[in-house]
Amino acid sequence: MTRVALLSIALLSLPAMSAPAEPPPSASRAGAPRGAPLSGPELDARTDEVGALLRCPVCQGLSVSDSPSSMARNMKAEVRDKLAAGYDQEQILADFEHSYGEFVRLKPTLRGVNWLVWFGPLLALIAGAALIASKLKRSGSGPDALPAPWSAAAVDVPDRGTLPDDPRLAEAMRRVRELAYGWPGGVPPKAGASA
Amino acid sequence: MPTAASSEAAPPRSSRINKRVLVAGAAIVLPLIAVLVANLGRDPHMVRSPLVGRPAPPFSLQPVGGGAPVRLESFRGKPLVINFWATWCVPCFEEHPALTAAARGLPDVQFLGVVYEDEEARTQAFLKERSSAYPSVMDPDGRTAIAYGVFGVPETFFIDAEGRIVEKFVGPLQRSTIAELVARARGGRP
Repeated sequence: MTRVALLSIALLSLPAMSAPAEPPPSASRAGAPRGAPLSGPELDARTDEVGALLRCPVCQGLSVSDSPSSMARNMKAEVRDKLAAGYDQEQILADFEHSYGEFVRLKPTLRGVNWLVWFGPLLALIAGAALIASKLKRSGSGPDALPAPWSAAAVDVPDRGTLPDDPRLAEAMRRVRELAYGWPGGVPPKAGASA
Repeated sequence: MPTAASSEAAPPRSSRINKRVLVAGAAIVLPLIAVLVANLGRDPHMVRSPLVGRPAPPFSLQPVGGGAPVRLESFRGKPLVINFWATWCVPCFEEHPALTAAARGLPDVQFLGVVYEDEEARTQAFLKERSSAYPSVMDPDGRTAIAYGVFGVPETFFIDAEGRIVEKFVGPLQRSTIAELVARARGGRP
């Protein structure tokens, strides 16, 4: 019982410890650097990686790494400076988010409504599959379940010698058959009775 | 009458399907209409910045034409209006007279221009040509603009006497809007 109480107190105080209500008004809101200062090719590579996670605010769906705009260049320079100072990826992203909002993250974090972004399409796919499955089940299974017009017995398949009731049309079709198929008199060789 | 009844006997199946389609369509369209209606009265220039209600990011920037660096802390104690602008920006050109007039008419409010991605010489020439009633500072590499979450120019921040951002306005300002937002920045003082 006391263990549960202690655990709940610890859990309740977690957000208070991890997210101070007011960011310190220092030059960097991210606090003390949590990572190791980078330099050389590693710094270049990490700058590109972190820049690829940031949305260029003046572009249409481009990351800071991909955009040639001066704003993206400035942001990339800031990412580089922060990495060189030892700030880690999450600190840098959080700092930009502080100014631009979550919009600036190209990969939305898994919280709140964002679950929908990550899993919504998958849920929609499963729901759609379930809907189709239930529809198929309700109408039975196999070819017997096909609606009446589609079963071969019900369809009035005309014989190839069939002619329309209109005598003028029938005459025209006979001539076409004679020309196209070489049937004398437009009568099919085996279906003379039906003509 | 009986003929009408017999002709109506056939359609109930199809009308039931139509009702279903109608419900599905309404389920998609109605939330969209609700969002539209909810936001109809909102001014698109009043952008909800995550910084509104938070302390303004500090800066120390060189004034146009040289001099001692201008620091945010030095404006503590009176409302501050920070206008991000550039000489290449036409809306900035349009709002310049309104900002200048407001700065002259509101001596208890500090106005500050932050020059966004522009050259100092060109800025100086612009300010010499048109009179300005408040200082402008250079923002090399746009670091201050990034800290303020600026998307483009003009963008204007209204900060209360405690250094807290009260409102962010995107686009060219008019005198009436400036007066209204300055009043809000004044109201931030207890």
